[in-house]
Amino acid sequence: MSLARFLLKRGLQGVFVVWGVVTVVFLLRFITPGDPISVIAPLDASPATRQAIAAELGLNRPLYVQYLDYLVGLLQGDMGYSYISNTSASARVFARLPATLELAVAATLVAVVLSIPLGVLSATNRNEPVDYGATTFSLVGISTPNFWLGIMLVLLFAVEFGVFKTSGRGITSARALSALATGNLDVFVSWLTYITLPAITLGTYFTALITRLTRSGMLDELGSAYVRATRAKGLPETLVRYRHALRNTLIPVVTVLGLQLGTLIGGAVITEAVFAWPGLGTLVINSITGRDWVVLQGSLIVIGVGFVLINLVVDALYAYLDPRVVSD
Amino acid sequence: MSDSQRDVLRVRDLSTRFFTEEGQVNAVEGVSFDVRDGEVYGIVGESGSGKSVTALSVIDLVASPGKITSGEVWYRNPDLAEEFRAERPDAVRDEFVDLRRLPKGVRRSLRGPGFSTVFQDPMSSLNPSLTVGEQIAEAVEVQRRARANPRSTRSRTQGYGLGKFLVDSLVPGRDYTGEESHERAIELLDQVGIPDPAQRAQEYPHQFSGGMLQRAMIAQALAGEPDVLIADEPTTALDVTIQAQILNLLRDLQQEEDMSVVLITHDLGVIARMCSRVGVMYAGQMVERGSLSDVFDDPVHPYTQGLLGSIPDLENPAPRLQPIEGNVPSLLDSEMGGRCYFADRCPKAMESCLHPIEMHDADAGSDEHEARCVLTETDYRPEEALPEGYFDGGDGDGGGGGRETDGSDPEAREEEVRADD
Amino acid sequence: MLSPRSLRNLKRELSRSALAKTGIALVVLVVGVAALAPLVAPHDPTAQNLDDAQLPPLGFSETENSTTTEVVDGEVQIVNETTTINATAEHPLGTDSLGRDMLSRVVYGARTSLLVGVLGTFIAGGIGVTVGLVAGYYRGRVDDALMRSADVMLAFPSLVLAIALVGLWGRAAYRIPDPFVLLGITPDMPASFVLPGTVVVVVGLVNWVWFARVARGEALSIREQEYVKAARAVGASDARIIARHVLPNALTPILVLGTIQIAAIVLLESALSFLGFSGTTLSWGFDIAQGRDYLASAWWISTIPGVAIVLAVIGINLVGDWLRDALDPDIEGEGGGV
Ligand code: SF4
Repeated sequence: MSLARFLLKRGLQGVFVVWGVVTVVFLLRFITPGDPISVIAPLDASPATRQAIAAELGLNRPLYVQYLDYLVGLLQGDMGYSYISNTSASARVFARLPATLELAVAATLVAVVLSIPLGVLSATNRNEPVDYGATTFSLVGISTPNFWLGIMLVLLFAVEFGVFKTSGRGITSARALSALATGNLDVFVSWLTYITLPAITLGTYFTALITRLTRSGMLDELGSAYVRATRAKGLPETLVRYRHALRNTLIPVVTVLGLQLGTLIGGAVITEAVFAWPGLGTLVINSITGRDWVVLQGSLIVIGVGFVLINLVVDALYAYLDPRVVSD
Repeated sequence: MSDSQRDVLRVRDLSTRFFTEEGQVNAVEGVSFDVRDGEVYGIVGESGSGKSVTALSVIDLVASPGKITSGEVWYRNPDLAEEFRAERPDAVRDEFVDLRRLPKGVRRSLRGPGFSTVFQDPMSSLNPSLTVGEQIAEAVEVQRRARANPRSTRSRTQGYGLGKFLVDSLVPGRDYTGEESHERAIELLDQVGIPDPAQRAQEYPHQFSGGMLQRAMIAQALAGEPDVLIADEPTTALDVTIQAQILNLLRDLQQEEDMSVVLITHDLGVIARMCSRVGVMYAGQMVERGSLSDVFDDPVHPYTQGLLGSIPDLENPAPRLQPIEGNVPSLLDSEMGGRCYFADRCPKAMESCLHPIEMHDADAGSDEHEARCVLTETDYRPEEALPEGYFDGGDGDGGGGGRETDGSDPEAREEEVRADD
Repeated sequence: MLSPRSLRNLKRELSRSALAKTGIALVVLVVGVAALAPLVAPHDPTAQNLDDAQLPPLGFSETENSTTTEVVDGEVQIVNETTTINATAEHPLGTDSLGRDMLSRVVYGARTSLLVGVLGTFIAGGIGVTVGLVAGYYRGRVDDALMRSADVMLAFPSLVLAIALVGLWGRAAYRIPDPFVLLGITPDMPASFVLPGTVVVVVGLVNWVWFARVARGEALSIREQEYVKAARAVGASDARIIARHVLPNALTPILVLGTIQIAAIVLLESALSFLGFSGTTLSWGFDIAQGRDYLASAWWISTIPGVAIVLAVIGINLVGDWLRDALDPDIEGEGGGV
């Protein structure tokens, strides 16, 4: 199987998952107590408004017609109209998406950059102080609720030292990076003061998780027969570690990352809630408390599609690292 | 001494211990042997006898919790001898250097040009995620770089670190190995009889059969043009028909390259077919050594006799060690008394066997035939034989052997096997 | 379900791992505190006392210097005032903004966390193991259909889905009479304990996928075993084979995963109650949310329940590590976090 075919196969599975996500989201409104209109319409809507909404949405049509209609709408980028916020759902959702992506990417970067060297260091200095430090960190890291960690960071760095911002987003990362490129350091630093605490909050669990996986994977690989053979043929230890052991360690790490993507998105939701980060997470929470059902549906679909897309990237990475996946 | 009679390797009194949670395991205890230029030297023993650990100890690849605790490994290398004669006089004797006394970097730089190793299981001895050609090319490349800049290679990374790994991963096409090394790798694959080597070089280990992989491993071992090739059970994991092919290949290559081979196996047939001289190991010690005919035609040690007793015909394709009654001792230090380690299984054990036994000249005919047994000095006297069940009680007496732990406790067995891996 | 060999491995691993011992100690502590909450808690966790609001924990008595200017007899004077807020042994961990005892709230919070964690894990395990065993046992289309729907589940982050479900279904809660109060042993304590019912169901519903994946993998290999083939040969029904042969042999990895899942669900519950999607106000996550508004003046209100969560989850994770190291099922990386 070639790489292209492998990715095509995964892509098709992804399309199926997206379809499933859409269907579940569509059906969710029928497993809620009360009739759909009471969920979709504002709470204080008059019976006449309700009637109008029901007619406009075609809620009195057969289920499959509504379903097909919904699917066709989605394909055209139409997630429905929110009578509560008086905007189209897709406009709201896509306005929020970049902020969440920015946060997730920042957190992932922090996690990957810190955790892999830490895990390697921990494994190659087994039972030494750095190893104890790293294992303790990863144990505490995977056991700490990130919202509490966020609050503790706020307590420490904002309330006590007043260094970082604790709420909001400031400018976008694109503008921050262009400011950095043009040497406008102040702007860049101000961006950093906004994103640092949320990124640490969201990234800690993953840093801890990947450190743990890297450490145990490295220990396995370093004790394996091929590593011994690689040493025996005279390769310097650095090559043995990084070119051979680390590469194979990363295969399961990447797999787990793919599996845990949902955790990353869920973590982003709550991190956004802690730092009033204007992303999808706050939108999800607000739309639930505000009963903005259409926006919630749109958010869920975007999250599901994002999950599938990122997983495709993870699959490609996995295939790149492990030739056994595609060469047969 | 004629040229072919010169030693290339003299191992003296080598001891390796494993410091496990169950206690100290004496995997190798005071092992000595010589390997000559251009010969195949055989080391034979049951699994758990310490023969593989002996090989790993020679190339300094014993992994934690194992540790070489004493001994010398003299390796003939006039250049190194010259280089260290002034600096480390104790590490140099004539043309020989003691690897154990040389700096770690120097010792490691000898992996490849000094010693190469072919391991038991080719399936797990190659990295599954790099092509076979790439892995052989690495072995070539590391020596090329070493020759180009001998000083910096000994201890350094050859310019390869985490940063470079990341760059290599992100930017395809950049790599450690060069074009020349790849070409050489294909030549080597051709030399070990892999058809269509250029194509196969680009394949991954899982696309190879076991026999082909072992050929590739041998090609990789040849890449450094070693003086001594250590083959640790090279055919055990393979089908019987493939075994013969690999052995023939090893023999041909040994003659072509004029290298020395240390062949480690539990298979007496392999020894008989390949080796000129042989050492028999039991419980971490070498119990008998000599030329092939000394040991096979005229064994002195009751253990060797027991092993050979099972083989009606040395040409038999797959003779195995005869299961001698009793078990291999656990090698736990606390359970090894100051006595002949074989005494609890020896049909001729006597009272004089209950103290440490040295290597003795075994017979007048050959000056290199030695055995670790009182029978080299005295004849068996039935009246001094140890009473039946002497070792069964485990009542202290410096004996006890391994019987109480063996068989009853699977963990103890595992530990023992691991010590030999 | 656990072979003698497994039990021996467990013992061996326990005897040599200080971490495993720590984990068990923590879990025993948390379970003990949760079970005996009315006996352990010094106060009614819901009793308010505004006079004693925001008392710091022992060892953190605070003095505050404030400087004010006052006009005395037509002259401006600078007055230095020192106010001391003393910690008292009555409230060793201090009080919250309404003067409720933090220690008692932490003790009762353990009940919520553990009950939701354990019950939720049972629900998730029940659904997931059933789905996984059926999928792995039948393979083919059944497997495809079930596992694709598991993929769809995975695409919804459990926290997001849980919020959505609780938001839609409401925050149903059930009052469970407290036996200690019922028996008159601790008459001062709350007479009933609130179990957030929706949350229990929801955390189970959003986490079953992990069990399904593991159970399926086990079923796939167990169905090829001789004893399963033999049972099929003598005509045992599929349901019987799954219940009698497949399930018991798949229990070890499920047990290990279940332990890890309790930790994950405790974290999930705390996140839900932090966001206000819970049916009870006696919860660690809820208290952390309460304390956010008082970070500058009373840091302990948010800090202490968080420490409790971390200790409890570390304990459960360590027990999980112990089981995994000793029993060695191949489930690295399964199970979601928060
Ligand atoms: S020394 Fe004694 S016990 Fe050992 S092998 Fe010789 S005869 Fe047997």
